Amino acid sequence: MSSDTIINVEDVHVSFWQNNVGVYSIKDLIIHRKSPFTSKTILNNISVEVKRGESLGIVGRNGSGKSTLLRTIAGIIKPDKGKVTVNGTFAPILAIGAGLEPELTGYENISMLLALYGTQRKNTNAIANIQEFSELDDEVLRMPVKQFSSGMVARLAFSISLANDSDILIIDEVLAVGDQGFQAKCMEKIYSIKDQGKTILFVSHFPDDVAKICNKAILLEHGEMIHSGNSIDICNNYRQLF
Amino acid sequence: MQNITRLYALSKRNVILRYKNSLVGFFWGFFKPLLYLLIFIVIFKQNSGIHDYVLFVTSGLILWFFFSNVTGQSVGSIVSSSGLLKSLNIPAYYFPLSETIGELFNLLLTLVVFFIIMKWFGLVYGLKLLLIFPCIFLFAVFALGLNLFLCSLNVFFRDIGIIWGTIQPALFFLTPIAYPEKNIDPKYSLFIKCNPIYYFLKLGRSIFYDPAAPSLHQWTSCLIIAIAMYIIGHFVFNRLKNQFISAI
Repeated sequence: MSSDTIINVEDVHVSFWQNNVGVYSIKDLIIHRKSPFTSKTILNNISVEVKRGESLGIVGRNGSGKSTLLRTIAGIIKPDKGKVTVNGTFAPILAIGAGLEPELTGYENISMLLALYGTQRKNTNAIANIQEFSELDDEVLRMPVKQFSSGMVARLAFSISLANDSDILIIDEVLAVGDQGFQAKCMEKIYSIKDQGKTILFVSHFPDDVAKICNKAILLEHGEMIHSGNSIDICNNYRQLF
Repeated sequence: MQNITRLYALSKRNVILRYKNSLVGFFWGFFKPLLYLLIFIVIFKQNSGIHDYVLFVTSGLILWFFFSNVTGQSVGSIVSSSGLLKSLNIPAYYFPLSETIGELFNLLLTLVVFFIIMKWFGLVYGLKLLLIFPCIFLFAVFALGLNLFLCSLNVFFRDIGIIWGTIQPALFFLTPIAYPEKNIDPKYSLFIKCNPIYYFLKLGRSIFYDPAAPSLHQWTSCLIIAIAMYIIGHFVFNRLKNQFISAI
């Protein structure tokens, strides 16, 4: 592993317990001594290396293990086998509405999440920046998040995650719900983050976006990495899946 | 330092969420024990044959409601925090722990009111009352251990939350809160002594109600039960925590 490597994933294997609980579970448990769980492989033998300033796109069908891979890299899921080494700090994973508490107001969510993400509390600019970037006005932010539209939720979640100054940004199909104006703004922001030399991990079902943002990409299928390389080639491979 | 900020943020969230959209918010916390107290006065007071019945019951009730609230809130704490757990690398035990801290905060507020009002019902002010803090601490460690156990199992078997809601009221009447211990038929006394909560309530009652200070024996039993429960909870939680994400 060279010194400019920011993320190194080596032979990672992740499996989940699958719950077999059902009507017959107690009978199975006691009479057949069957475990209520079976192990299901989600990721198998994944190895990726991302260098500082590079951006990695992850593409694949629904359920191919993209989000699990992101979570494994972010340390949220511990792999059964293999090793993940990261030399930098993470912004929280950007997924739709990630971590927002529906009962709390926009402002309450902002202050809770900033504290959880480890952003300095004294940083009052952070709140102003979030408000400005999300274009949500005062009246909206005083409402509970459960009353937000899905686009507003995406705006808020995206803006809060960006308030944190970290080395690696993880984006998990979050841009699809914003309106056109906001999508364009997010893309612009992502480019500017990239220009600052930061690393972006990007999951999307839009190959064009992946090809534009990332220089490298991998294609997952049933938890296996079937292709890796230049993002434009990988996106073509992805299109051929369908 | 960052851990403290995070725990504080989560505990604050729990306190806010609890009384969100309710009219008198925090005061419901008093209303529930008060209602129970009134019922007990009507039903049990005459036959109990004890002096200062209000103080006797209330000293048990505030500890019981701390326990019942904190376990009731924590049992679903991992499941209901799936959004945060899936997007942020944050230790899962922060969730039951912050529920416990939030509820301790509620208990402290309740205690202030309790100290003031119970003056009229026979509470004797003195340094002995300070012993309630180590007592609450031990009880909280016990509750946290149980919470770790319940919330981690509840991730995989949601029945746990339902079962716990059913067991709790039964446990309440099994614990001598509304009636004195001596009213129990001695042949069932072993049954009562198997209930771990009994020891904590007895300790609390010794501090608030009995003239003498609690014995060393009482303190050691509570200490042992608290540590044992914590170890069990911690062990189960750690065995299961790596699979939480797949099940929430």
